[in-house]
Amino acid sequence: MYLDFVKTLFFLMQDHNLGYIYKGIFTPEVTDTVLFLTENKLEKQEESSKLKKRVYHILVEALQNVVRHQAKDEKRNPFHDSLFLIQKIENRYVITTGNIVKTENIPFLQAFIDKINTLSKEELKEYYMKILEEGTFSEKGGAGLGLLDIARKSGNKLLYKFVPFSKDHSYFYLCVIPTLEDQQTERSYENDFRFVELIHSILNKEDISIINNGPFNQENLITFLNSLEGQMLGNVGYKKKVFYIVIEMIQNIIKHGYIPDNYDKTSVPGIFLLGQIDDKYRILTGNFIENNDLVALKQKIDRVNNMSSKELEDYYNDFLFNFGIDDSKKSGLGMIDIRIKSKHPIYYDILPINNQYSFLSLQSLIYIE
Amino acid sequence: MKALYIEATEDTPYVKLDKEKNIFEIGKRSLPENAIAFYEPVINWLKEYKTAPLSETKFYFKFEYFNTASAKQIAKILLELQEISKIAKVNVCWYFAKDDTDMYASGLRFSKLLNIPFEFHEM
Repeated sequence: MYLDFVKTLFFLMQDHNLGYIYKGIFTPEVTDTVLFLTENKLEKQEESSKLKKRVYHILVEALQNVVRHQAKDEKRNPFHDSLFLIQKIENRYVITTGNIVKTENIPFLQAFIDKINTLSKEELKEYYMKILEEGTFSEKGGAGLGLLDIARKSGNKLLYKFVPFSKDHSYFYLCVIPTLEDQQTERSYENDFRFVELIHSILNKEDISIINNGPFNQENLITFLNSLEGQMLGNVGYKKKVFYIVIEMIQNIIKHGYIPDNYDKTSVPGIFLLGQIDDKYRILTGNFIENNDLVALKQKIDRVNNMSSKELEDYYNDFLFNFGIDDSKKSGLGMIDIRIKSKHPIYYDILPINNQYSFLSLQSLIYIE
Repeated sequence: MKALYIEATEDTPYVKLDKEKNIFEIGKRSLPENAIAFYEPVINWLKEYKTAPLSETKFYFKFEYFNTASAKQIAKILLELQEISKIAKVNVCWYFAKDDTDMYASGLRFSKLLNIPFEFHEM
């Protein structure tokens, strides 16, 4: 099925408590945005200001490290993209980054990380000072002081994995778990690289660069919209067009998404993805929907998909001035508007969950200008 | 008549409706989840204004963007203005950011569906 990866990603992220993923080129704007979004989440979720600070500092270092070592291809190759994920496990944040490295540098990097993983806090500090004084380090292998600094600040071992993907290149996953002195340190994360790899392979295959794993409400929609600004290409008018569609699609989740019993009722579970396909952006959402609503939804989408632009315009106008359909939930305009503005059919995929509700994936496409 | 001033938020527009000062303006972002609730006082204000409008009303729409839920409420505002135009002069000044063809298209759509003069301006 065409959009079933949306559901796969949703449940993978749900199971591993992943909030946000970015895969792509880390420009300064992107880095700022990732920091902004994470800071925002930390502010809301995290009470320990000490841990908040530590997570934030490591984020800054880890992102800089990615920026320093990311691929510098003339033409973007999605498989060379760098990666950022953040998840919350119990009372800790797990930050995973990924970037390509030359396979020939792996023995050095591996030995280096293994070495710093054996050092105590004091020894890390001494080693850091020694390297700074010698000043010859960064020539070899490329990653050095950055990693050492992350290790110093994290209060925990660095977890890593190298995965070869071409003759000369491998992918380097690095996982940091900022840990306070009074928190337990021992925990195996071996399995978690496997799910990171799985998610990464889906993102590569589908060329997805941003995932926001809700849950959604009006407030975090606005935060998220503000964050998208720095990550979009194109002129103001074009960015707005994408925003219009993003707003309609996420508000669609907020208004019509179903909240199963085992989810928190204050916001609506759902997932948002932004990716590319050929010369188009693909904007995707996934959420639960009550089976009772399916027939009407399918009819509506099929109908707008099959309309000419003139018919769409008339259909829109009919709803615009039809105040019989005008309550806080429904204007009747959302799908028509998405169809008009995107100039593409709306794709949908419905996967049954049980006899009460299903998982709905929607995709709209829009030419990259 | 009492003026209606509402400050803009991240997802709701500013509103300035002041008969004495001859100011009729709404703008910025309009993306509320519940657009009906937000626009209700605006529409009520216009209903009252309709009973004794100024001889000339210039109504400025200066939106950055609005969602479809707001579109319907904006349609209601414009219908009120259309009513007023039967007894007094009404002009709609529709602003759009340069390159924002969708905002321009929205204004154009309203102007075709309604019987009141529209002026279009780049912001």
